[in-house]
Amino acid sequence: MNKYMLKIPSEVVDSPIIATTVLETEVMVNILRAKVDYDEGTIVISILGDAEEQRRVVEALRGKGVEVSKLEKNITNDLKKCVNCGACIALCPTDAISFNADHSIRVESEKCIRCGACVVACPLRSLSIQVI
Amino acid sequence: MIFIYEYSITKTFMKTIKQINEKIRKGEAVVVRADEMPEIYEENPRKAAKEVDVVTTGTFGVMCSSGAFLNFGHSDPPIKMQKVWLNEVEAYTGIAAVDAYIGATELSMDKGLEYGGGHVIEDLVSRKEVDLRATSYGSDCYPRKKIETTLTIDDLSQAVMVNPRNCYQRYKAAINSTNTILHTYMGTLLPDKRNVNFAGTGEISPLANDPNLEVVGVGTRIFLCGAQGIILGEGTQSSPPTGYATIRTQGNLKEMSKEFLAGASILGYGASLFIGIGIPIPILDERIARNTAVRNEDIRVDVLDFGVPKRDRPVVGQVSYAELFSGRIEIDGKKVKTSPLSSLKKSLEIMDTLKGWIQGKEFFLSETIQPLPKDSISKPMKQRKMVPFVGEIMTKRVITAHPEDSIDSVAETLVRKEIDQIPIVDAERKLVGIVTSWDITKAVALKKKKLGDIMTRNVINSRQDEYIDAVSRRFEKYKIHSTPVVNDKKELVGIITMADILHSGVTNKLRSKTKK
Repeated sequence: MNKYMLKIPSEVVDSPIIATTVLETEVMVNILRAKVDYDEGTIVISILGDAEEQRRVVEALRGKGVEVSKLEKNITNDLKKCVNCGACIALCPTDAISFNADHSIRVESEKCIRCGACVVACPLRSLSIQVI
Repeated sequence: MIFIYEYSITKTFMKTIKQINEKIRKGEAVVVRADEMPEIYEENPRKAAKEVDVVTTGTFGVMCSSGAFLNFGHSDPPIKMQKVWLNEVEAYTGIAAVDAYIGATELSMDKGLEYGGGHVIEDLVSRKEVDLRATSYGSDCYPRKKIETTLTIDDLSQAVMVNPRNCYQRYKAAINSTNTILHTYMGTLLPDKRNVNFAGTGEISPLANDPNLEVVGVGTRIFLCGAQGIILGEGTQSSPPTGYATIRTQGNLKEMSKEFLAGASILGYGASLFIGIGIPIPILDERIARNTAVRNEDIRVDVLDFGVPKRDRPVVGQVSYAELFSGRIEIDGKKVKTSPLSSLKKSLEIMDTLKGWIQGKEFFLSETIQPLPKDSISKPMKQRKMVPFVGEIMTKRVITAHPEDSIDSVAETLVRKEIDQIPIVDAERKLVGIVTSWDITKAVALKKKKLGDIMTRNVINSRQDEYIDAVSRRFEKYKIHSTPVVNDKKELVGIITMADILHSGVTNKLRSKTKK
């Protein structure tokens, strides 16, 4: 569990935050998803390090004015609505959705990078991304 | 040899429906699921045919050609409904005063693609309250012109599901070769052949277990959305000779269960209905047993390119249901992820439920009244006028540039030729990008020198063999007014603009006028 969501406020959106953080902490960071506009940005990263290294990266980012939240609960499936059709499966870029042996849908929330492709494609509207 | 074998089998069945029903009555019938049958049959075909009485099959998928006849009862004073809406979804009421047919794919007036006839049917089955609004012109016998009320399924005299086309024997798989995402009735198709969506349940699919329509016929009692329904006849577009048979089904909506029916909203396509169907196959002889022993490996389907918005979409490959269910198939030497659109889990539940009903003496097999037609084919629509192809109306002489060209020279060309964009091609005339006058402005501001540095590489393009309606749709979707046109080899062959399309409409009209 090494995924984090960063909210980059407008004041610092034009500075190389990730690059300087990597140089300072010497911990590798993988950018999974990024949406950066002129006024603000949202970046999903995974920090490739142990708990201590992750903490250092988070602290460094927070020191630069970035809002950091750990991604634990991302995608959830409402089992009352889901019919286990599987329309979501091939759309997931990180294989967070798959079939169990009994053909029911398995959602591995920690693998999810919150892209939302499955949410809109679900014919039953049973998938949703939890608000942080 | 084969002839003699088939002749002898058809003439002397091992068992009759009557005998199987007798066994059901005594609680002695042997019922197995279609997925269990291949192994049982292969072990000892003769024994399997003798001992197994019924094989249950199942499917649970989106079946758009579905709906329900509803009778609302008469209001006081009475109204002859001319238009009626249920939760703002229109139902067809051109049948007497208070009868209506609600179709699964009709969209709501207020929620668009998110809510439709399928959802109304689900709400009725869930015993939720549904708002009814009807209007009329008024007559001496039916003076009322308007009514608004709220009702549940229990307030209706009859609610009968009648589905013109259900239960395709097998179904084609879908892929997208274009460079843009497509939202289709086969679900979301990612660009560049990145996913494959497929429907149907393969070896457990009801009609795949009776491919010659020998035992499934008019009057066959079936499991329909949790109720006992019947097969009314062949489904629309049924095509048994090509392996795509369908059936028309009927069942009492009031007896159906939310477990086996669900309203669906397919992104960019619209509303529909998930339908659960189970058909019991009576094992009357060895050949029928053999047909129920079909495996996913044996059922092959075409993978069609939905990137080509034509009736006859090109076939990209052929795969078996075994490959489709494995989660990945190979297309052009690459592994592509697959998504089923039908629920195997629900289908297995349907097969088990039907098995339980038969074993619990709640469900008996029915004799068929007559066989289903075996030679129907699905005809294309007869059209009086053909829509033009892009290649027929596009501008063929296109001004192009190369990635290594300088910004200055291209800026000069744009001004001199009075155009606002220019397709970029490589030495082989393959389309590699596009540059607009805005890109040039940006290049000047950022002090870039070469076109290659500023061009848009992922170009929305059209193909010369596409219909112009597909291009109009593309213009609308991406808010653009022209695209480059390419051939099969991705070579630039022209450019098509909104003006070309409008102009072709005018000339078409003129042409048809002069014909008269």
